[in-house]
Amino acid sequence: MQHSFTIADRQFTAWLSRAGDGYCLHVDNRPVPVSLQCGGDGACVLHVDGCRHDAVVAVDGDVVHIHLDGATFAVRYTDPTHRYADSASAASDDVALAPMPGVVVAANVRCGEHVEAGQTLLIIESMKLETAIKAWRKGRIATLHVGKGDTFERSAPLVTLAPVAAGER
Amino acid sequence: MRRIESQLNVGSEEFRTRERHNRLLATDLKERQRRARHDRPERDVDRLRRQNKKLVRERIEALLDPGTPFLELSTLAANQAYDGEVPGAGIVSGIGIVSGREVIIHADDASVKGGAWYPLSVKKIVRTLDIAIENRLPVVHLCDSAGGFLPAQADLFADRHLAGRIFRNQAILSKLGVPQVAIVLGHCTAGGAYVPALSEYSVIVKGTGAIFLGGPPLVKAATGEDVSVDELGGARMHTSISGTADYAADNEDHAIAIAREIVGQLKKQEKWPLDWARPEAPYYDPSEIYGVIPTDIKQQFDMREVIARTVDGSRFHEYQPAYGTTLVCGFARLWGYKVGILANNGVIFNDSALKGAHFMQLCDQTRVPMLFLQNITGYMVGREYEQRGITKDGAKMIMAVSGAEVPKITVICNGSFGAGNYGMSGRAFDPRFLFMWPQSQISVMGGEQAANVLADIKVRQLARAGQRLSQAQIASIREPIQEEYKRLSSAYYSTSQIWDDGILDPVDTRNALGVAISATLNAPIGQPHYGVFRM
Repeated sequence: MQHSFTIADRQFTAWLSRAGDGYCLHVDNRPVPVSLQCGGDGACVLHVDGCRHDAVVAVDGDVVHIHLDGATFAVRYTDPTHRYADSASAASDDVALAPMPGVVVAANVRCGEHVEAGQTLLIIESMKLETAIKAWRKGRIATLHVGKGDTFERSAPLVTLAPVAAGER
Repeated sequence: MRRIESQLNVGSEEFRTRERHNRLLATDLKERQRRARHDRPERDVDRLRRQNKKLVRERIEALLDPGTPFLELSTLAANQAYDGEVPGAGIVSGIGIVSGREVIIHADDASVKGGAWYPLSVKKIVRTLDIAIENRLPVVHLCDSAGGFLPAQADLFADRHLAGRIFRNQAILSKLGVPQVAIVLGHCTAGGAYVPALSEYSVIVKGTGAIFLGGPPLVKAATGEDVSVDELGGARMHTSISGTADYAADNEDHAIAIAREIVGQLKKQEKWPLDWARPEAPYYDPSEIYGVIPTDIKQQFDMREVIARTVDGSRFHEYQPAYGTTLVCGFARLWGYKVGILANNGVIFNDSALKGAHFMQLCDQTRVPMLFLQNITGYMVGREYEQRGITKDGAKMIMAVSGAEVPKITVICNGSFGAGNYGMSGRAFDPRFLFMWPQSQISVMGGEQAANVLADIKVRQLARAGQRLSQAQIASIREPIQEEYKRLSSAYYSTSQIWDDGILDPVDTRNALGVAISATLNAPIGQPHYGVFRM
């Protein structure tokens, strides 16, 4: 599984492996000998397949800014666990389940209401502890399974959001 | 270190004849491996594609670090069993690099009978985990198996080294502190459910992955409960309710990415600090090995010519070069690693046996792994040799090879017959790895001699019953016995039965040994100690 990068909205995959004393860059299943010597000020000497390039490199989190041969590139690293995760995965669940048994102390929304991600929907109390049930994504309340004063068991459904249509993902 | 002076005449007719013969054998091996790896019924491949599943080798490729070597083991397991319908015994096993760590992979091949475990599948998984235990290699399990193949259950379930041993080995690995990561890519049913449960880390794919002791039909039959696969053992249930699996993944690539991240944070193994120098390619071209091995297994050849085409710089420090000359002993480097080599150059006599037992203790004392290159027809027989104690001298070799603490690796280059197989670290003597070359034969005695003995017994039985047999009739008895004996002593039968860890193209031996030696160094090496040598 190769590393993936985005440069100007285009995805690239590559892998760097050791080869003897140096390194080899694997791009399109072709190994290319590479080396990189960096000074303290970000000025680097890059050798690709024997050709020398002078570059200036600045690292900013997952983005690396590179000045090379008169042009500037912003290279963003995408972690493979993010790259391959379904983008809608975190938001694909439609139901909030009770994390523990308890009682509803406040219901802040009504059925059919549109909510923003992070908005408090319910406040529940359990074991002398109040917990806010917040919208885990943007959406419309499809069902409020409980009202103020209701008690519920662990894993009982509390709120259901209307499913996200495929086009909205 | 001195370079071996090769005596091989690469321009000779003999060289060219041998080369043609052995290249054909290598081509045949590669073709058999290709078929075992890739030839599958179209409907099985289509079914996996419909389920959004990758083929097992695509999974392994995604798991491994790109551009790193993968030493596949027992590719041709079961090639002569189950009518040839279970290529590789339905399991892929091998050593590779994942996130910079050396690991061993066990992968179920769902394109073979839905990944069902046949008796030889179980043997291959158990062997994979034995290798993990002996070499302290972390394991990645790629789970996608329909469970044990029921019609063969009597041959895969109850005995000491059958299915239960998989789970026992997993528990022992855990006890040794060797971690396992399971990726659940299909159903893990019944015993198979324990594979992820006994792993330190498990990733399960939503939708296609499931773990349960009994699947929905069995639950329905047992208790009448109607339950879906997802409710019974799906990713969400196991990662949020039962705690049987640890990470839910959206798809196979996602699962493999998570597993790579897990392996990347495992503790880096401290390796045994074996004497190592910068590797040097052999001075003599390894492909000339094709011209070294005779076309007839009965013809002798100088194993030094093989050593010269396998070790770094073709350099070899030969020990006792003038004593016990039918066993060549000495030190060399392989991919930089120092090894002690024991190589057969003829029948083992008393002096060769003593030299072998002595040299093994020397390797053990100096903590140098041993490489055995077998081409052995046995120990010398006859009154003179028995009087000199050939049996007790052979016993010394067995005492040394069994007791040695350093890793042993064995390559059966040509013949492996009788007690010679024992003294030269055959399978029963726990070499960490054992490989064969395509032409090699392995049996309790040479094929022709054994077939003659068997045929003679039969002929005498018939003679006692009053039958007189013509030469033609005797030949017609002898031939099928010889053919069957030949088949059962062939490298392909051995590898089918998993008596070895795979057949190597002789030219690939150097690279395979490099990976194997590197793998052995993950385990600590104990202090030398032995039983009693009969003097």
